[in-house]
Amino acid sequence: MSNSAESVCNEVILRAGERKRITLGRVLRNEYFLNTVSLIAFFGFWHWAAASQVLGSSSALATPFQVVDKLHELFTETLAGLTMWGHILASLKRVLIGFLLAALLGVPMGLLMALNPYVNAVVKPIVDIFKPMPPLAWISVAILWFGIQETPKIFIIVIGSFVPALLNAYNSVLLIEPELYDVVRVMGGSRWDEVRQVCIPASLPAISAGLQIAMSSAWGCVLAAELVSSRSGLGYIIIQGMKVSDPAMVLGGMVVIAAIAWILSQAMDWLDRKLCPWRRDIKGL
Amino acid sequence: MNTTEQQPRVKIACENLSKTFIQKGTQRVPVLREVSLEVYDEELLVVLGPGQSGKTTLLRMIAGLETPSEGRVLLDGEVMTGPGPDRGLVFQSYMLFPWKTVLGNVLLGLEMSGVPQEKRREIADHYLNMVGLKGFESYYPHQLSGGMKQRVGIARAFATQPKVMLMDEPFGQLDAQTRFFMEQETERIWLAEKRTMVFVTNNIDEALLLGDRIVTLEGKLPGRVKASYDVDLPRPRDPMDIEFLRLRQEITDAQELTL
Repeated sequence: MSNSAESVCNEVILRAGERKRITLGRVLRNEYFLNTVSLIAFFGFWHWAAASQVLGSSSALATPFQVVDKLHELFTETLAGLTMWGHILASLKRVLIGFLLAALLGVPMGLLMALNPYVNAVVKPIVDIFKPMPPLAWISVAILWFGIQETPKIFIIVIGSFVPALLNAYNSVLLIEPELYDVVRVMGGSRWDEVRQVCIPASLPAISAGLQIAMSSAWGCVLAAELVSSRSGLGYIIIQGMKVSDPAMVLGGMVVIAAIAWILSQAMDWLDRKLCPWRRDIKGL
Repeated sequence: MNTTEQQPRVKIACENLSKTFIQKGTQRVPVLREVSLEVYDEELLVVLGPGQSGKTTLLRMIAGLETPSEGRVLLDGEVMTGPGPDRGLVFQSYMLFPWKTVLGNVLLGLEMSGVPQEKRREIADHYLNMVGLKGFESYYPHQLSGGMKQRVGIARAFATQPKVMLMDEPFGQLDAQTRFFMEQETERIWLAEKRTMVFVTNNIDEALLLGDRIVTLEGKLPGRVKASYDVDLPRPRDPMDIEFLRLRQEITDAQELTL
């Protein structure tokens, strides 16, 4: 119980620079120590849950070691003709193509909707209808229209990432400070000058944010997309794992998906810094 | 300064300007009513009024950013129908492009008016120097203080070498010390490159420091011209001068609200 005026936030700042004696109490309260303990406890609990088969049979949950073993196997041997690298590549190809299509269709459309009231009146109601539909629901439609090759898979990914790209581009223009256009007008600029000099650069930060969400969405759809009769990809690995009741395979697939998701988000961060070099650094988010 | 018998030339003539804004649906807000005023060539005219007196709308109509509901604006005898590079504008909230550097912002007008590439940098440097921002060319606006940002705004407006400079309460967002400094800078810059200037403010000291002539607006909507005062004080202005303070008292007395 603290009677001092310090808040939790103050404590962190005030104590950051001080060097203190090492006591047991201090070690137990140290942030990094607690991080480590938490992770160890998590893996320990996971291992116990898998080994003691508390969730049922041995095919319900694999231990962390089994997952690591399985991953090693997948990376060195082939599954359906491809090593893990091959599968990663297959999924990446689909997601990147889908993402690019979604961005190239969604961003200009969003901008056009924001700038032209007629286009907006025609297109917005349709976007509003399709906005809440989950990509997964589109699978049977996709198969019906496009067969079972690559196209339906890419279609699902586009569906998942098109809407965030479009909506962010649309909103980005609406958020522009109206007086900025006056700056251009006062210099004798035409309407096209207003778009080129104000709309596009001013909307880049929000468009970039939309693309980050779209990429994350696209990658998140890879499982749904590969439900369409896949012979390759990370989604395929997980589905196979489910089919043969191999939890290590399922979890291994999930781990790799998470790792690639992290790499992709770092790449999008880099892109954001390249597109918008003038932005202040905001830590977090 | 009417020391010669020569009649000063009228640069801008506002004839019977009225402006009514229509709010959501049918509510009509009359902002200006029958405002007529003249701005003489190479004079620094100050439009003084409290908040909500229509002075920004008046300035925007001179700039061509708003069309009058009635009346018209003439520049050098020609009716103005829209904005153009012949009237530069300095905004109250700076309105710099955050994605451009200081230099980029100042070059904006030069790029758009088709000034040849070689001359652009020269002109931009000249005005950045004039506002005292030499050396800050590659800074981004978010790295600058308010006073510095407004100086970029001034350099940007001057760079297109407009016939008339319009300034809309440009120092309203600055603290008192910076504001006083910027007022003196504006006087210095205006003396260095004389051109017709219309300066809108709510601050009487600022008005007396800068204006050759002060036009006051009524304190409530719809805005109307209340009075006009000639300021025959020597430059640079001294806010402690007895005549300065006398004029200040005279103008303050004439207003319902203290300025």
